[in-house]
Amino acid sequence: MDIPAIEIKNLTKRYGEKMAVNGVSLQVKKGEFFGFLGPNGAGKTTTINSITGIGKFDSGEIKVFGLDVVKDYREARRKIGLSPQEFNVDFFGTVRNVLDFYGGYFGMRKAERKERMEYLFEKLGLAPYADKQFRALSGGFKRRLMLARAMMHDPEILILDEPTAGADVELRRDLWLILDELNKQGKTIFLTTHYLEEAEKLCGRIGIIFNGKIVALESKEELIKDGKRIEDHYLHYAELERNGANV
Amino acid sequence: MKFNPIGLYTFIRQEIQRFLRVGQQTLFTPWVTALLYIFIFGEIVGRRIGNIDGVSYIDFVIPGLLMMNVMQSSFGQTSSSLYFKRFARHIEEILTAPLSYLEMIIGHLAAGILRGVIVGAGVYVLALLFTVATVSHLGLFIFYVISVSTVFSLAGLLIGIWADDFEKLALPATYIIMPLTFLGGLFNSIHMLPEKFQFFVRLNPFFYFVDGLRYSMIGVSESNRFVGAFLISTLILVLGFWVWNLFKKGYKIRT
Repeated sequence: MDIPAIEIKNLTKRYGEKMAVNGVSLQVKKGEFFGFLGPNGAGKTTTINSITGIGKFDSGEIKVFGLDVVKDYREARRKIGLSPQEFNVDFFGTVRNVLDFYGGYFGMRKAERKERMEYLFEKLGLAPYADKQFRALSGGFKRRLMLARAMMHDPEILILDEPTAGADVELRRDLWLILDELNKQGKTIFLTTHYLEEAEKLCGRIGIIFNGKIVALESKEELIKDGKRIEDHYLHYAELERNGANV
Repeated sequence: MKFNPIGLYTFIRQEIQRFLRVGQQTLFTPWVTALLYIFIFGEIVGRRIGNIDGVSYIDFVIPGLLMMNVMQSSFGQTSSSLYFKRFARHIEEILTAPLSYLEMIIGHLAAGILRGVIVGAGVYVLALLFTVATVSHLGLFIFYVISVSTVFSLAGLLIGIWADDFEKLALPATYIIMPLTFLGGLFNSIHMLPEKFQFFVRLNPFFYFVDGLRYSMIGVSESNRFVGAFLISTLILVLGFWVWNLFKKGYKIRT
């Protein structure tokens, strides 16, 4: 059997009184396009933070291609590229700086970084803005840079936390095309989004999280085989959750 | 891989770029201030003071000014760098990269020491405009500059972790570094003070930093240099362990 791209077992994370993530277990296979859905505060970003090293977790285990994200953090992090929900970047750095430094942190040599940057500038339409500071970019180009940074070290897995939030129609379509292409090249994609039609269009498998617990985890076909849309299922779970049902 | 040399080098490069980008504030401000101190206190006022411990006043004051700038610059580098990284969240770039805690700490320290050395070198060059600014013991001179800037780089990291707002970030420079340097014999010989104050000066670690550098430059010393060296080494070990422990726990660094 293939080693899963991402394997999470019994992940828990508490912030004070609140259980942000409560026993989450899931697997994402290599090459899969996985959609991780749930309302704000459900535990999506906390789960992502635990995978990527931004956050600590209380218990559980996370492996990336069999590499423990805590014990084998160096190798595990090389496998992952993150496009975060909120811009976590030096606002005074230029597009070029941001990518160049990030590549360097991953041990890429100068020539390698240069080549990769040229490719990403072209791919994401960033070339005309290469020497502009991040703060001077429009919202759409800030998003593009986040994706470019995630792709800089050519990771196996791309984790995209609401990459299309606030994006205009054109940018959204461009990002969809890029993500689809990356997925076809064999990259594993882990996407969170509030746009359920986006998940329906792109993802092969869906996980839904409410209050830190996974309430649904199945292939898109399985989820919508009853003829309902993802949105209907999502709202169904939301209602169960509101009524305090133990879903 | 046990070590990420390109990653560490990049981290240091990024830190250097960050302080050079605001060079007006990080380099020219201390140089202009130092120039004014040297000119007014050393040259103008100093002429009327005459010699202290057998050296001219300006030569007595310069090591202190140099050390003060090294301390402030190293501290300012690491404290503001770490604070702003946390504040603007681009610390997450480092956290998601294959860098160890130790590499993160070494990267910050290297930049802190380097900024201290660059500012210190500038102050030294400015001093040459007014006096010969001798360095009698080059080895000791290098030891004091590097070790004291290590102490202040480490202290800066602690403040960069502790500070939750700009106010807290600015407090230590104003209420700790500046007063303790001034009270630690920057402008005056300890013998100019009343007897009972001399005791307190000897309890002030900054006295040993300033006096040690002064000895390495002009060969005049009022402190026990072994106590000074022990103090500096102990501070490096204690602060270093503290910083390492906080990074390891991810305290206020990882969510």
